[in-house]
Amino acid sequence: MQQEARIQEAQLSSQTMAVKLGSPLRQLWQTNLEVFQRDRMAAFGLFIFIFFFLVAVLAPFIAPYDPLEVVEQDGVWLSNKRPFWMEDADEPVQFILGTTNVGRDIFSQLVYGSQTALLVGFSAAITVSVIGTVVGLIAGYYGGWIDMLLMRLADVAFGIPFIPFIIVLSAFLDPSVWNVVLAMSLLLWRDSSRVVRSQVLVIKEKAFVSAAKVSGASSLRIIFMYIAPSILPLTFLYGSLAIGWAILTEASVSFLGFSDPESVSWGFMLQDAFLSLALSRGAYYWIIPPGLCIMLTVMAGFFIGRGYEEVLFPRLRRH
Amino acid sequence: MSLLSVRNLCVNYKTERGTVHAVDGVSLDVAEAQHLGVIGESGCGKTTLLRALVRVLPANSVIPQGEVIYKGRNLLALSPAEMREIRWKEIAMIPQASMDSLDPVQRVGQQLERLLVVRGGYDQRSAKTRAVDLFELVGLEAKRLSNYPHEFSGGMKQRAVIAMALALSPSLLIADEPVTALDVIVQHQILDVLRRLQDELNLTMLLITHDISVVAQVCDSVAVMYAGRIVEQASAETFFAAPSHPYSLGLQQAFPNVMQAKDTLITIEGFPPDLHQPPTGCRFAERCPFVEDRCRATDPQLELVGSKHLAACLRSAEMADLRVAAQDPALWKRSLVGQQYQTVEMPPINGGTSAAAQLNGEEVLVEMKSVSKRYKIGGGLAGLIRGQGEQTIYAVNDLSFKLRRGESLGIAGESGCGKSTTGKLLVKLINPSEGQIIFDGKDLAELPEDELLAFRSRVQLMFQNPFEALNPRFTLYRSLAEPLMIHGWRDEGQRLERIVDTLNRVNLRPAEMFLNKYPHQLSGGQLQRVVLARALVLHPDFIIADEPVSMLDVSVRAGILNTTKRLTKEMGLATVYISHDLSLLRYTCDHIAVMYLGYMVEYGPSDEIINNPKHPYTQALVAAVPLPDPSLVNPPLRIREGVPRPTDLAQGCPFVERCPEALEACRSIMPSRIAIADKHDVLCHLYGEHADSPKLTPAASEQPA
Repeated sequence: MQQEARIQEAQLSSQTMAVKLGSPLRQLWQTNLEVFQRDRMAAFGLFIFIFFFLVAVLAPFIAPYDPLEVVEQDGVWLSNKRPFWMEDADEPVQFILGTTNVGRDIFSQLVYGSQTALLVGFSAAITVSVIGTVVGLIAGYYGGWIDMLLMRLADVAFGIPFIPFIIVLSAFLDPSVWNVVLAMSLLLWRDSSRVVRSQVLVIKEKAFVSAAKVSGASSLRIIFMYIAPSILPLTFLYGSLAIGWAILTEASVSFLGFSDPESVSWGFMLQDAFLSLALSRGAYYWIIPPGLCIMLTVMAGFFIGRGYEEVLFPRLRRH
Repeated sequence: MSLLSVRNLCVNYKTERGTVHAVDGVSLDVAEAQHLGVIGESGCGKTTLLRALVRVLPANSVIPQGEVIYKGRNLLALSPAEMREIRWKEIAMIPQASMDSLDPVQRVGQQLERLLVVRGGYDQRSAKTRAVDLFELVGLEAKRLSNYPHEFSGGMKQRAVIAMALALSPSLLIADEPVTALDVIVQHQILDVLRRLQDELNLTMLLITHDISVVAQVCDSVAVMYAGRIVEQASAETFFAAPSHPYSLGLQQAFPNVMQAKDTLITIEGFPPDLHQPPTGCRFAERCPFVEDRCRATDPQLELVGSKHLAACLRSAEMADLRVAAQDPALWKRSLVGQQYQTVEMPPINGGTSAAAQLNGEEVLVEMKSVSKRYKIGGGLAGLIRGQGEQTIYAVNDLSFKLRRGESLGIAGESGCGKSTTGKLLVKLINPSEGQIIFDGKDLAELPEDELLAFRSRVQLMFQNPFEALNPRFTLYRSLAEPLMIHGWRDEGQRLERIVDTLNRVNLRPAEMFLNKYPHQLSGGQLQRVVLARALVLHPDFIIADEPVSMLDVSVRAGILNTTKRLTKEMGLATVYISHDLSLLRYTCDHIAVMYLGYMVEYGPSDEIINNPKHPYTQALVAAVPLPDPSLVNPPLRIREGVPRPTDLAQGCPFVERCPEALEACRSIMPSRIAIADKHDVLCHLYGEHADSPKLTPAASEQPA
């Protein structure tokens, strides 16, 4: 009986095998899926990202005005209007979150700000984690003078203070949100490359890597087929943390006034509010929403990062 | 009156998949001054039982019922504070891998004295004298008290741990695998210490191990554990003379005995049942060759089968006949799981042994010509700052041997003797610093790129740890297909055919069932078969097996060895086995090379090396192997433990520091290779022109107290 069942199972599996063969990618996908299934916080983080992504894509349809447009009525700027629930009911034009001191619609700015935030966040995260992973893989696998060179470069990157670096960079280049992305990709690969390198050092000593060498696998094959798949969750972890960092950095740089005046971001909104003394006027509706948005996206990045951490280091899960 | 008595003890673990009944109704009595050995393979609940006795179980465990009566008190009913008083003062425990439990930043003596002051109520001065006494008791010099743990060798650490366990004069000592992972000479000496403690302190001891030889050497009674239960309990003499449970029969025959050569070993295939839902009948039924229908229905209880001899088997009345029948390895294949691993005749490859036999004595496949391997450590900027110059590690020195097709060579020695380095040299994972390695007429160092790839398909390495040797992210099919893909097998159908054929050869059947599995879904024994299959999938000419079974349970070791041995014959392979275990090498190899500090000190036919060892080091290695027979006590060794670091190239004989027979000449003159008999070489002055040199004063070769 048992024997028969086994043979049946075997036949079944050989039929389905064609589909299942060659599955490291599929397994990676499963790891990712597992993160969000297992961890509600991570799922919540993902939800926040999806939400802002939709907002960013649909911004032209959601926002009632252009973010830099000065709303006028009969040639008069509708400046310093309060949100609709605070404003007199007899005002002719109602704003969801009021207007700035030059009459720009705050809600529209908020909506368009998500575009900048996500653009900066994701492009910085991708460049940082890709550079970091590749540098870490190469340094860790080859060792010797290559490792020496790359890690000393990382040391240099560690030695450069981040925000001043961006300010200097913006002084040389035209002000643009891409400065933040550029600065982050130039500097922040240092963390992920260090971590990836140390992990590579561990994995490359494992017997299955030696086994691959003995059967004649080339270095590239070993790096990308054997070592990289084990490293990728780590890359995702650093990527998701970098999203938060990038958005935060963009906000700080904008707040310091080094951003592109033609593009709207949440940091830019905060700076605008700060310079026009919104606080002293009690215009919380101008300050809190962009602050909240920054907080939410940064938090989303960290929640997802935490989820990966728990899958990567299962020991944390026990407690 | 027994000192410790366990009554119907159960321990459960709560896991994601339900409750594991790790210990399921164990009753035991340990009398004063008794030395009880608990044996069984991993996953049988030995360690859980032990930890339940001192109540140091993990947080997800529950003890639903049972009593642990120690000196009339039920330990399970004590408050945590009362229990703390019992631990160490009354019951001391040496946990598994306890060598690493010494605090690395405190001097060993300090740790011991602090323990004595804090827990034992000693004052500073008496603690110091007590520490000295304890160190002497376990055979360590008193000056060693001021050392840090990293200055100790493995054996010394284990001695120190034993000293700490004994510090508060406990009545009961519990040791979990106290000699596992130690080199055979160190192991022998630790067993010596344990034996001496029994005599000197009248200590009661509970010892857990998977190695029945250890039990035979140290214990006076035995309990066999299987699947959370005790299946047999007897005095050591009775147990070894007349085992009365099929599992014990298997265990006793499962491992090669260094003194008795055998053609085929017995293997208990399979693994213990899943204790989430233990089987209703006899728990061993699935793996038992004597199984009958009633075994699956009735759960056998422990019954008296002789004087003070308990066994839980429904067929214990016929045990005398079963004992005789159990000698036959073929019988063990008849169990339900055993059938899976039944060897099926398959056509030989490359002409198999017959082709190899024709070439035998003619064609040398692999030859090492005075190969040396040195590593440089330290030095550089960091070394300069630490004030250490560059040091050279002489891992392999002047190694030469020839290996023909169909031949097998065993390389033996303690850890650090260069045997694994030799393995790596042979597969060209590293390159020699000096000398040549010739494979099939070509120097490995000068292989061009394309021939190197061809070489890679002809030489394979079988790894020590099957749990690490397979990529955890690949299915088994993928792992086995990798070598084929690298060597240009583009056709998926052909690859599949070859892989299925190879899996069948290593007795993983039906092969299709394993293809889509991941490594973590297999047991250690199955994994090692996959590792073997990967080594064989390209039909190589030469394989190197580095400690092929050291990570596996005793019960399945034999299965792997049998399969490897059969396949190397079937495929006409040249094989190198690397192992610290002489009995294993004797079983698998034609020749054995003994290495010490990178030198090959003796080389000869396996039987010669075991029965007639010439080099004092080989003699010590052979004498140190524990024998699975309580009536034979290993003779005391005359050699010191601990391999020195090979940082200096010895001027004279490398072994002189530890040699009990050292001569004056050994200090200054490097011995040359001396042929004792046909194909039996030894690197020792005792047999050469300097044999009449005066004996060295014992100061250098004396063993510590």
